Amino acid sequence: MDYVVELLDIRKEFPSVVACDNITFQLKRGEIHALLGENGAGKSTLTNILFGLYQPDSGSIRLRGREVSIPNPNVANHLGIGMVHQHFKLVHNFTVTENIILGSETTNGLFIDLRSAAARITELSNKYGLNVNPHAKISDVSVGMQQRVEILKMLYRNAEILIFDEPTAVLTPQEIQELMKIMKNLIAEGKSIILITHKLKEIKAVADRCTVIRRGKLIGTVDVASTSQETLAEMMVGRKITFTIDKQEQVCGGSTLVLEGLSVRNNNGVLGVKNLSLEVHAGEIVGLAGIDGNGQVELVESIIGLRKVESGKIFLKGHDITTLPIRDRLNSGVSHIPEDRHKHGLVLEYTVGENLILKIYNQEPFSRRGLLQREAIAEHSNRVIQEFDVRAGQGAATSARSMSGGNQQKTIVAREIDRNPDLLIAVQPTRGLDVGAIEYIHRRLLGQRNKGKAVLMVSLELDEIMNLSDRIAVINNGELIGVVDANDTTENEVGLMMAGIKRGAMA
Amino acid sequence: MKKLFLGILVVSMLAATLLGCTPKPAPVVKYKVGMVTDAGTIDDKSFNQGTWEGIQKAATDMDLDIKYLKPAGTTEAHYITEIDNLVAAGYKFIVTPGFKFETTIFAAQTKHKDSKFVLIDGSPHAGDWTSVVGNNTVSIFFAEHESGFLAGVAAAQQIKTGEFGFIGGMEIPPVQKFNWGFQQGIAYANKNFGTSITMKEENVIYEGSFERIEAGQQLAATMYDNGVKAIFAAAGGVGIGVIQEAVARAEAGKEAWVIGVDVDQYAAGIYGTKQDKSVILTSAMKYIDQAAYDMIKAEKAGTFPGGKTLTFDAKNNGIGIPKTNPNLSAEIQASVATVFAKLKDGSLVVAAVQGDLIK
Amino acid sequence: MRIKLSKDSILSLVAVILGLTAGAILMRLTGNSPIEGYRYLFSGGAMNIERIGNTLATATPLIFTGLAVAFAFKTGLFNIGASGQMLMGGLGATAVGLTLAWPKPILLTVMMLVALFAGGLWGAIPGWLKAKFNVHEVVASIMMNWIAFWTVYYAVPAYFKGPFLETESRRLPSSASLKVPWLTNLFQGSYINLGIFIAIATIIIIAFILDRTTLGYELKAVGHNKHAAQASGINVNQRIVLSMAIAGALAGLGGASFYVGFASNMQIGVLPSQGFDGMAVALLAANSPWGVFSGSIFFGILHTGKGFMNAMTNIPPEIADTIIATIIYFAATSVLVERLWVRLKKKKILRFLEKSDVGAGGGE
Repeated sequence: MDYVVELLDIRKEFPSVVACDNITFQLKRGEIHALLGENGAGKSTLTNILFGLYQPDSGSIRLRGREVSIPNPNVANHLGIGMVHQHFKLVHNFTVTENIILGSETTNGLFIDLRSAAARITELSNKYGLNVNPHAKISDVSVGMQQRVEILKMLYRNAEILIFDEPTAVLTPQEIQELMKIMKNLIAEGKSIILITHKLKEIKAVADRCTVIRRGKLIGTVDVASTSQETLAEMMVGRKITFTIDKQEQVCGGSTLVLEGLSVRNNNGVLGVKNLSLEVHAGEIVGLAGIDGNGQVELVESIIGLRKVESGKIFLKGHDITTLPIRDRLNSGVSHIPEDRHKHGLVLEYTVGENLILKIYNQEPFSRRGLLQREAIAEHSNRVIQEFDVRAGQGAATSARSMSGGNQQKTIVAREIDRNPDLLIAVQPTRGLDVGAIEYIHRRLLGQRNKGKAVLMVSLELDEIMNLSDRIAVINNGELIGVVDANDTTENEVGLMMAGIKRGAMA
Repeated sequence: MKKLFLGILVVSMLAATLLGCTPKPAPVVKYKVGMVTDAGTIDDKSFNQGTWEGIQKAATDMDLDIKYLKPAGTTEAHYITEIDNLVAAGYKFIVTPGFKFETTIFAAQTKHKDSKFVLIDGSPHAGDWTSVVGNNTVSIFFAEHESGFLAGVAAAQQIKTGEFGFIGGMEIPPVQKFNWGFQQGIAYANKNFGTSITMKEENVIYEGSFERIEAGQQLAATMYDNGVKAIFAAAGGVGIGVIQEAVARAEAGKEAWVIGVDVDQYAAGIYGTKQDKSVILTSAMKYIDQAAYDMIKAEKAGTFPGGKTLTFDAKNNGIGIPKTNPNLSAEIQASVATVFAKLKDGSLVVAAVQGDLIK
Repeated sequence: MRIKLSKDSILSLVAVILGLTAGAILMRLTGNSPIEGYRYLFSGGAMNIERIGNTLATATPLIFTGLAVAFAFKTGLFNIGASGQMLMGGLGATAVGLTLAWPKPILLTVMMLVALFAGGLWGAIPGWLKAKFNVHEVVASIMMNWIAFWTVYYAVPAYFKGPFLETESRRLPSSASLKVPWLTNLFQGSYINLGIFIAIATIIIIAFILDRTTLGYELKAVGHNKHAAQASGINVNQRIVLSMAIAGALAGLGGASFYVGFASNMQIGVLPSQGFDGMAVALLAANSPWGVFSGSIFFGILHTGKGFMNAMTNIPPEIADTIIATIIYFAATSVLVERLWVRLKKKKILRFLEKSDVGAGGGE
C-alpha cells in the first residue's frame, strides 16, 4: 500500500478525558480522506498531533513509510504537511504575495525578492486553478479568496499533505463548489488531502474515503462511494438519525411580524440594515439567509429591542412595537434564541433552574410580592427539563456553565419555546451542535410552526435554511435581496442571492 | 450559607483562645515609659519625634524601658485602646503628644488611676472644654506665639525685604498661635530693625491635616511661584512636603526658604552636592523633648507635678530658636537673643490671640 | 455535627492561612518570634470581654463597607467610594444628632435614615453617571470620595465645630450616640455600640435580598452577564443605579456606625480607611454577606490586637503595620488562591504545553 501518512495506534490523554483512544488513520497518496466526527470527538487532537501541536502519549507517526517524530509545526512544514485553519491567519493590510511569503522570505541582498515570489505564486495559482491575484490586498478580497491564499501558502512551501479544518464553514454555496473543484485539482496533481468536517454532503461530494471517530474512539474507515449518508451519520452519532424532515402542509395565518422600511445602524455607526421590509406569518418559518455580517445581527437586535431603530416600523400582531422596551416586547409574545448563547442566552453562573426563569422570574407564580417562590420555580424547571430533554447532571440545580454546549442550547430553546411565543426568533439555533441536538432543535422549531406560530430563523447554514423554511428571505449588505418560496428555489439560486445578485438578474 | 461565617470565625477565635492565654508580665526590672503617637509617624521631624527624643534621652540618662505605640486611627477609641495596651504591658507612665488626646486622657486618668499621664499641648476634658487635670496627670502647654515671634524676628532680619508665607496643619490653637506670633515678629522686625517683609492674606493657609506631604509640596510650590521667599511651615508631615519643595528649588538654584517648627528641622532641609546647605532658615522650637524629659525626671525624683497645668515659655526656656544655624549671621543670633531676653523679663509681650492678624 | 465548608470558604481560609504565614515570615525576618507575636495579636483582640467588645466595635464599620463593596460587586460594579459614602452618612447623622433634641430612639432612627439616604445618594451618583454616560464607576466613585472629603472639611468647621477646635465637630450628646450604657457595661467599658446589631440585621437583610427576592435575582443577573440580563428585559441601567444606591446606603450606615457609635464626633481631613478595608473584606468574603461578617471580625481582631502585640513584643509599630497589611493583602487574594488551585489541576496540561513550547524552540 502506498500510504503518505500513517498515524498508528495514537493515544492522547488529557486530564479526565481520553481524546484519542488508540486511533489508526492512514492517508493514501492522491486521495481526499475525510475525518468525520461530532464536536469533541477527537478530530482536532488527532490532526494537531500530525501537525506537531501535540505529542502523542503512545503510538507512532509514519510519513511515506518512514517513522518520524513531529515536535512542532515547523517540522511539520519541513515534512511537507500544511494546514488550512478554520480561522485564517492572514495580515489584512498586506498583499497576497506578502502574506504568502511571510516567514519564508527569499531575499536578494538586502531586499525581499517580491517579484520572483509573485511570479511563482502566479504559476502555482494557474497550475491548480486558484485564480488568485498576487498583488491584491487581503482586506480587498472575498473570504473564499482568502481561503485560497491560505491554500497557496501551503503550496508555496511545497506541502504535499494538506489538512483542511472545516473549510466550508465560512463559504457561500458557490464558493464551496469552487473549493471542491480546487481540491480535486490538487489531488490530480499528486497532493493528498485530509478533510475535517461534520458535513456529510460534502464528504459524499468530494471525499474518497472517510474515517469516523466518536468520543476518541475509531469507529471505522469506509469507502465513501459505497456508503450512504445515513450510515455515515449513524457511525458518527452512534444511533439512527432521520434526515427527512416531516413537514406538514402549511396552514398560514395572518401577519405576526411586519417590518416596514427598517433601517438600523451597526456598531460602526453606519446603516447595517437598509430600508428592509419583511413579513412573517403565523404558521410559517421564514429563513433569513445570508453570509455572516450582512445585517442579520442588527435586524434581529432591532426586533428584540436591543438596538435602536433608525427609521421604519416594527409591528407585532398589528401593534407598533418599534419603541417598546425589551420586556414589553417579550411579554407581548416574542421569544429569542440568540446567536451567542453565552453572551445573550444564559447567565452561566446561574443554575439551569434559574436560567429557565430568566424571562419570567417576575411573574406569578414564580414571584410574589417581590419574593422568589422557590417551589414554583423548582416545579417549573423540573417539568421543562423533562419535557425538553435537557441533560443536566443535578437537575435544576446544575450550574449552566458545567453543561455541554448542546444542553446549554437546549436550555435556551426550552425556555423560549415553553413561553409559547407568537413569534420565535431563532438565530443560528444549531451552531456548533452535534447531529442529535440539531435534529431535536429542528423538530422543535417545526413544532412551533405546526402549532400556528411564526418563526423567523437566521442561519448561515444553507442546508438548514433550505430544509426548514417555508419561505426564504435573503439579506446581503443590509438589504433584502428577495424572498423566495422554499419549494420553488434551489440552493444555487439562494447562493447567488446571498452574493447580492437579485432573482430577476439571473436568467 | 455557612460559608466563611463558620470558617474564619472558628479559626480566628480558636487561634485567639489557643494562643491567647493571659500574657505573662515581663519581669519588672526597669521603669517603663510609654508613648502613644498622634496622627503621623514617629519620625515626623516634629511633634511625635520631639516627644520621643525626650523620652529616649531620659531612657539613656535614667535607664528606662521605653515603647511607643501607633494607633490604628485618630479617634478617641483608637487612642484609648493603645493606652490600655501600654498599661496592660506595664507601661504606667505615658506621654501623649497633641491636643487630640484631650478627651482620651480625660477618660484614661480615671480608668487607669495607678498610671501617670503627661499630656503635651492639651488639657483633659470630657468634650466640653472644662479642664479636669487628674492627680495622676500633668498638662503641658507651650507659648507657641513667643516661639513664632522669635522665628519671625530672625527670618525677617536675614531676608530683609520680600514676602513671607505661612502653611499650617490643622487650624488648631497651637498652630494658630505660631502663625500669630510669627506675624507679630515680622512686624516687630520691620519696626525695629528696618526690614521690609510683607505677608499677603492668600499666603496664610491651613492645609487641614498633619499628614499629606504632597499637599504641602503643592501649596509651597504655589507660594514660591507667587514670589514668596520664605515659608513658615507649622504643619507636621505637610511641612515635610514644604521642605521637600524648597529643597527641590534650592537644588535648581532658586531662592526658597523654610522656617521649621517644633524641633530644629535644619537636618530635614539639607541639600547640595556636598550636603552642606539647608533650606531651613531657622526653626520655631517648642522644647517638647525637654518637657517630656523633665516630667520623667520629676517622676523618678518623686516630684511629679500631678494635677498641674504647666506652661513652657521664654521665662522657663521652654521655647526658642536653635542656637546655631549657618543660615543666620552671628549678629542676627545676637539680636534674637536680646529680644528673647525681653520676652523673658516681661518687657516685651506677644499676643496669643488673633486680633487684627491674618487668620 | 459535621460542618461542611463550601469551596469559597475553603479558599478564603487558605488565603487567611497564607496571610498569617506571610506575616510570620515577616516577624521572623525582623527577628521576632511569630508564635509570640500571634499569641499577643490574637489575645489583644480577644483576651477579655472588653477587648472582644472592641474587636466587634472595630469590625462594625467594616461589616457595612464590606457589604457595600460586595453588594455592588454582585451587580458587577466596583464600589471604591465606600469612604466617601461613609463620610456623607456620618455627616448626615452627625448633623441631625447635633441639631435635634428628640428622644433617643426616635433621634437615632432619624439619624440612621439620614445616613442611609446620604450614603445612598453618594453611591447613586456614580451609578447614574455609569448608566447615563458610561463613566466608569471606579473613577466616578473616587471623585465622589474627594467631594465628600472636602464637603466635610467645609461643613464641620462651618456648622458643627466646638468653641475651640476648628478641625472636629462638637461631641455628640449621649442621646445621639449609638453607645448605650448597658452595652458598654456588659462589655466592661468597651467601645461596642448598637451599630453591631444594626450591622448583623443588615447582613440578614442583604443576604435575603440577594437570595430570595426578584430584585436580588435581577441584580446578580446583571452582574454575571448584563447582556443576557438586558436581552431578558431587565432594565440594566436602572439596576446599576439602584445597586450603587443600595451599596452607598450600606456604607452610609457604616459611616453613621463609625462617627456616632465608635467615635463621638467627626474629624475633618480624614478619609476613613474602613472604606478601603471594606474592599479587602469583600474580597476575602468572596462577596458573600456572612463571609463579610467573619472577614470583618478577623480584620477587627487584627486591628484591635496589633497594639497589644506591639506593647508586649519588640516588634515596632511600623513593622506591625506592615505585618497587618501583609496579612490583609494575602487574605484578600482568595481569587489568586483559586487560580492557583485551578492551575494545579491543569498542571498536567501545563507541563505538556511547556514541553511543546520548548520543542518549538529546539526544532528551529
